[in-house]
Parts: sequence; structure tokens; C-alpha cells
Amino acid sequence: MKWLIGLLLLCGAAGVTVLYAGWYDISATDQHLRPTYWLLDTSMRRSIKWRAAEIEVPDLADPQKVRAGAFLYREHCQQCHGAPGVAPKPFALGMTPVPVPLVHTARAWSPAEMFWVVKEGLKMTGMPAWKYRMSDEHIWSVVAFLPAMARLTPGQYANLEFLPVEAQRRSPGEPPSAKRGVQAINQYACVTCHEIPGIVGANAPVGPPLKGIAARVMLGGVLPNSPANMVLWLRAPQQVAPLTAMPDLGVTERDARDIAAYLATLK
Amino acid sequence: MRLAALAFLTLVAACGESKAPALGGDPEQGRLLLRQFACGSCHSIPGVANAGGRVGPPLEGVAKRVYLGGVLPNTPQNMAAFIREPHKADPRTAMPAMGVTEAHARDMVAYLYTLE
Repeated sequence: MKWLIGLLLLCGAAGVTVLYAGWYDISATDQHLRPTYWLLDTSMRRSIKWRAAEIEVPDLADPQKVRAGAFLYREHCQQCHGAPGVAPKPFALGMTPVPVPLVHTARAWSPAEMFWVVKEGLKMTGMPAWKYRMSDEHIWSVVAFLPAMARLTPGQYANLEFLPVEAQRRSPGEPPSAKRGVQAINQYACVTCHEIPGIVGANAPVGPPLKGIAARVMLGGVLPNSPANMVLWLRAPQQVAPLTAMPDLGVTERDARDIAAYLATLK
Repeated sequence: MRLAALAFLTLVAACGESKAPALGGDPEQGRLLLRQFACGSCHSIPGVANAGGRVGPPLEGVAKRVYLGGVLPNTPQNMAAFIREPHKADPRTAMPAMGVTEAHARDMVAYLYTLE
């Protein structure tokens, strides 16, 4: 019986055991335990305030900006956050934390803070970073619209003229950077299919591991590996190999160059 | 009691290890064949002599990989087919058909499926 007592003692002593045993409830059907919630919520609030402190806010009163923001909000934000009189989509209701109504956020947070959150996203909340999908200008338009939205009745919101604006991504220009590449590798979900040295959490065996990719001769089994071909492969894999399971992730030229710059370091 | 627990654990561990070889092939034979067909000149293959090629992807952990050649879902049958006739799966692939027989492919797959 001694071994049993020893085992029980071990279980009781180490919080690590709780973790490895899988006893902590990570389901999205229930909120975190109160202390965990407090810890996460406080870290988030403090982090946003600290990181947004230096951001310079442009003029947000421009009606054109607000109008563009309304369209972008309906396109990209309403699905999760709802709008005056509009509920979030069912998938969003199943998220924990459930996405907040931004009519309240607009009154509680500063424009710089909202800009930072929209641009950079929030880990483990479901809030995506829009930095790789939207220009800073468009993010500011969304931020300009939020306070206006908080003052609309449901009827007024429904009657808004949602004038389409053309999608706008970050402009190219800067020389390729391996450091930016690491972020792009996360933002284009490369990490979900490939094992990539030096990148936390990149350990999935869906596609081939990228260890030593800089010295590999062929890309996707079909294309000779060169810096230019790597960019081509990252941007349009199905054009290079029509049967490939690797999807076109909408990688921009600039981001593909950054990713290639990082991959070139994996010798 | 302690002894019984230990015996049980050993049994469980042993059961876990003795997985039937994929496609009923001979893994040891497969390992030698991978060498004989010079697979290692293009692929790095753990456990195979002189297999450090960097033309195609490394085969370390290939048993758990989801796609073969980027195009075929990884199953023992598909792996054997891909080894024998890679161009049937992807006409553009740089991997050549090496004239591997069905029986040889089965042995190779049996070995490659030990690489988890």
C-alpha cells in the first residue's frame, strides 16, 4: 500500500500534476476560475494601456473616415461583436470570452487603445490581429466609427449607407527582414502545418518539416529552391503545384519576402 | 502488489511497442531496400546508412505526416503507391519512379511507418 500513498501524496503536492492530468477545465462552455479570470483580465488591461501609450492618434472627426469605418465594421467586426440591435453570429456566441459589444468599448477605451487592439489582436481571446489584413488607415477608420456607432439607435444603424471601400493592405517598401518573418509565419498560419525550428508551437506534421529548408533542393517537390521561387511558392502554391494540399494563404509580396528571409536562416 | 503493478506496466509498454508492420511488410528488409534504391541520396532517413539527402523533405517522423508529396493523404497504401509511381499522384513532382516492385514498396512502407 505504500506506493499508493506515495502516489496520492505526489498528486496532492504538485500543481503540475493537476496540469498534466488534464484536470483544469479548458472548455469554452464555462468561464475560467475566478482567480485565473482576474489574472488574465488584469494582464490584458495593463498590457493594452502600456503598449498603446505611445501611439499618435490622427484626426478621427473626418466624416469620410467614419463612413469608411462603418463599412469595414460591418464587413469584419459585426460577425463577432454585433452592432446596435444586431446579435453576433452563433459561432461567436460560443466563444469564451464572448466578444464584447463595442458600443461599450468605445466609451470605455481610448482611440489609441482600440487601435492597438484591432491592429495587434489579443492572444487567447479570439481577437485576431488585423495588421496583416488591413492598412493602418483602415484600422483608424474603424476606430473613428466606434464612438459614432455607440450613439446610434438600432434603426439608425440599419439605415446607414455602407459605402464599400476597397481593401487596403500594408504597403511594401522595407527590405526583407527575418525578424518580421517570424511574425508573418505566425500570422499566415504556417505554424499550424509545419515544424519550424525557432518558432514556438510550430510542430505539426501536416506538411514537411522546414528544418534545413534553406539547403533543400526542391520546394513542394516540384520547384527548384531559390529565394525568388520561395516567394513564388509562398504566394501561389497552387499555381506552382496544382494538386498541392498547401493552400493559397493570401500572402503579400512583402510578407512572403519576410517569411523567405527567415526560412533562409534555417540551414 | 508492487510487483503486480510493475508486471502490468511492463505488459502495457510491451503491447504498445509491438505494432503490426504496415502492409504486412518486413521493416528490416525495408530499411535495407531504402538504402539499395538510394532513397537517401534525396531524403534524410533516420536509421538508413548514408541517407542524408536534402533534395526532398526529410523522412524523420514521416509516419505521422498528414500529406505525402504535398498531395496524397498519408496512408500505408498511398505511401506504397507514391513510392512506386510518384507521377501518378503528382505529374509535376521531381521524385522519380525508381522501379520499385509492389513487394519491395510494402517493406519500405513497413520501415517508414516505424519513423514516428
